[in-house]
Amino acid sequence: MNRQEPVSDEALIEAIQKGDKNAAACLYNRHIDRVHRICYRIVLDVSQVQDCVQEVWLKVFRNLDRFRCRESFVAWLNTVTANTAIDYYRKWIKQGNRLNRDKAHIRAVAAERTGDQQLDNALIHQRVYEALEEMTVNQRTALVLRYFEDMPMAEIARTLGCTKGTVRTHIRRSLLALRAKLAGKPI
Amino acid sequence: MQNQHFSFEEFKALFQDSFDSQEELLNEYNSFLQTFEQLDQTPVPDLPYREKAKIFRRSWQGRPQESPWILTLLNFFRQPALTFALGIVIGCILMSVVMNNPIDLTGTASADELLEIEHTRYSRTYKGKIINDFYSEFENPKIILEKAGETEPPQRTLHGTLDNGEIYVVWNL
Repeated sequence: MNRQEPVSDEALIEAIQKGDKNAAACLYNRHIDRVHRICYRIVLDVSQVQDCVQEVWLKVFRNLDRFRCRESFVAWLNTVTANTAIDYYRKWIKQGNRLNRDKAHIRAVAAERTGDQQLDNALIHQRVYEALEEMTVNQRTALVLRYFEDMPMAEIARTLGCTKGTVRTHIRRSLLALRAKLAGKPI
Repeated sequence: MQNQHFSFEEFKALFQDSFDSQEELLNEYNSFLQTFEQLDQTPVPDLPYREKAKIFRRSWQGRPQESPWILTLLNFFRQPALTFALGIVIGCILMSVVMNNPIDLTGTASADELLEIEHTRYSRTYKGKIINDFYSEFENPKIILEKAGETEPPQRTLHGTLDNGEIYVVWNL
């Protein structure tokens, strides 16, 4: 493979469909961080994120034969990831589990990234995650896909199986909840 | 000032009905900018390299496995022009087989004749499934219609056996 010109996702998918493991590794490395990011922000429980990411990639490799190169792979992957994360979260909560946000971990991550404003950032981080936790999973997913992943409204609507108007309502409510939480007000 | 993720236009589309004037809306957007900045400061921890490798290994192994010759065969048939040509060839072969050896759909599936009639100069013998069913108490029943001479009236008799051929029965009908 040419190192100067990155191989397109479509070419990699074609190679994977013929059983090329190296192409699969290449596609995986290109998108694993995005999948992990979306799962992390939807599932919210640090101890469950890896299992959720695992489920997403199992689905991707099992269903890659059905993927048609006419559509964007990233859009398809985002949809698979979001739906898997939503189902995973619902199943997890239905089983009577409670979220383990691992506050120490969150603080450590925030502190590691920031430097001078360590405590402030740790607090912001904690509040953002508290706000995300208090939203419904659909509101959270709409916000994550729109704000963090720049996904268009129409695609989010398709992913969540609702109308664009409903997505707007989800995002609006989630933003208001976030602002209230970050300002220290009750939601 | 605009946020890279949430433009004022998008904000306006979301919150327009909540505010009376454009100025109020702009003020609200500016107050939201801080929230967006704070959102930008919430990183996601990296997934350790070892975990990434483990997830890949399991996912790759978990996909449906096909043996290499099946894959080769599938790839062979994935070429549309080839599949089309092959379809035409198979179609022609089938047509030629059907035209040369038309399948007989009228043949009876059962080997048993319903009624068999044997002719001789002065007699006719009737046997078969109908006679078997009608005289089910006899074994191998048959009705013989015979004339003693050309001018004599015909006489009907039933011939059969009982008790596995132990007793031979002749019955005038």
